[in-house]
Amino acid sequence: MILFLRWLHKWIGLIVGLQFVLWTFSGAAMALLDHHKVAAEGVIRPPADVPRLEQPVSLARVAQAAGAPILRLELKPLQGRYVYEAATTDGVRLIDAADGRPVVIDADRARSLAVSAYRGAEPVRSVAPVTESTFETRTFARPVWRVEFADKDHTALFVSAGTGQVLGAKNDAWRLWDFVWMIHIMDYTKRESFNHPLIITVATGIVWLALSGLILLFRSFRRSDFSWVLDPIARLRAAAKTGAR
Amino acid sequence: MRWPALARTTHKWLALIIAVQAVFWTLSGLYMSAVHIDIIHGDRLVKAVAPQPLALAGLVEPAHLAHMAPGLKSLRLDTQLGKPVYIVETTAGHDLFDARTGRALSPLGEADIRARAKALYAGEGDIVSLELLTKVPGEIKSRPAPIWRAEFEGAWRPTFYISPQTGELVARRHDLWRTYDFVWMFHIMDYENRTDVNNILLRVATWMALATSLTGAWLLLYSFRRRRRARRSVA
Repeated sequence: MILFLRWLHKWIGLIVGLQFVLWTFSGAAMALLDHHKVAAEGVIRPPADVPRLEQPVSLARVAQAAGAPILRLELKPLQGRYVYEAATTDGVRLIDAADGRPVVIDADRARSLAVSAYRGAEPVRSVAPVTESTFETRTFARPVWRVEFADKDHTALFVSAGTGQVLGAKNDAWRLWDFVWMIHIMDYTKRESFNHPLIITVATGIVWLALSGLILLFRSFRRSDFSWVLDPIARLRAAAKTGAR
Repeated sequence: MRWPALARTTHKWLALIIAVQAVFWTLSGLYMSAVHIDIIHGDRLVKAVAPQPLALAGLVEPAHLAHMAPGLKSLRLDTQLGKPVYIVETTAGHDLFDARTGRALSPLGEADIRARAKALYAGEGDIVSLELLTKVPGEIKSRPAPIWRAEFEGAWRPTFYISPQTGELVARRHDLWRTYDFVWMFHIMDYENRTDVNNILLRVATWMALATSLTGAWLLLYSFRRRRRARRSVA
C-alpha cells in the first residue's frame, strides 16, 4: 500500500507537478496582491448630489424618441441632468428627460463622464472605443469607451457607450493580477472560465498528489526525527521520576 | 548532507506543516472547478422570461410619480406578474407603485411575495416556508433587511430572497452555493468572514506551499531511474 502510494505520488508529481508549482505560485502571488488595489477601490467617486427632477417629458414623447418597442425604461440622473434610458428591441437609447432629445455618448461625452467620476487629479491620456472583447472589458457590455488617465497606475475607466454609465476601472495592479489569475484558472485564451475539462482533470490528479502526500507523511518520519523535542521531554520525565523517589 | 537527502528532508518537513491545508486546497479547488459557476449562481432556478415590449399608453406619467414619491432619485418601469410597475428610489429607500393606477404597493405582504416567488421559480416544487426576516442571514450578508425568504421543495433546498420594497428577486441560494461558500472559506483560509483574500495566514501558507512544491519538483530529479541500468545492476 505504502509502496503504491509512493509510486503514485512520484508519478502524479512527474505528470502534473508543474501545475502544482504554478498553482502554489499564482496562489501565493494573488494572496500578496492587495485586492483593494486590484479592484481599483476608491478610484471612482460615488455620483454627486442628485439634481432636482424638473417636469420630465411624457412617456409618449419617450416612445417617439426611442423609435423602437421599449422593453425596459429607467429615469435616472446623468451628470447633473435627468435622462431616460430605454432598452429597446434595437438597443439602448438615452433621451434627455427635459426636452426629449437623444443623448449620444460620443468620445467627448465619455471623456467628461470619466473625468467627473475619476477621483484622481491626473489628466486624461487617451480616449478610445472598445468594440471587441478584451481582457479588461470581458465582463462589460460593449460598446464601451476606454478612458485612460495619466497616473502612475495607468488607470483606465470604462464608460458604456449605450448608457453613459461608468462600468468600472482597471489599473496595473489588476493587469498583473489578471495574468496570475490566468495561470491559476488555466484559461489561457479568455481568462474567464474555471470550469473546463483541462482544469478538472488536472485538479483530480492534484487531489491524489496531496492526499497520497499526506498519508505518506505518517511513514516518512521516525522517532529520531523528533528526538530534538522528545529527548528533552523524556529526560525531564526521568528526572522528575528520580526526584519523586 | 548529500543533495537528495537535503531535498527529501526539506520536502518532508515543509509537507508536515502544509499537507492538511494542501488537501483542503485541492479538494475545494476541484469542487469549484467541477461544478459549473452558473449552477452555483442558481441560474436554472429562475424562470427565463424574454422581456416583452411595454405598453406605455395609459400609464401614470413619471412627472406625476415625482409628486407622489418625495425625494425621488430614479425610477424604473418594469413588469411584475404581467403588470407594469414602477420601482422608485427615493432618498428614504425604495418603493413599488402600480404603474396603471399609481397605487403604492410596498411594503409587499405575504400573498404578494408568495405570488412573485411562485412566478419566478423555475422548478416544480411548492413553497415550503415563507417568512419575513428582520435580520439578514449570513448567506446574503450585504443585502438590506427586512427581506422575504422563500424556501422551495426541490433538490438542494432552493431559496429565494425577495425585497418587500421592490418586489424583486434579490438573491437565490441553494445547497450547492452554500457548499461553494464553505469550500471557498478553506480555499482562501479566511475562516472568519470568508472574504479576505489577503490575510496573513493565507500569505504564509501559500509561500510555504510553493516551497513544498518546488522541493517536490527538485526531489523528482532523484526519484526516477532508467530501467535498463537498474536491471543490469540486478544482474
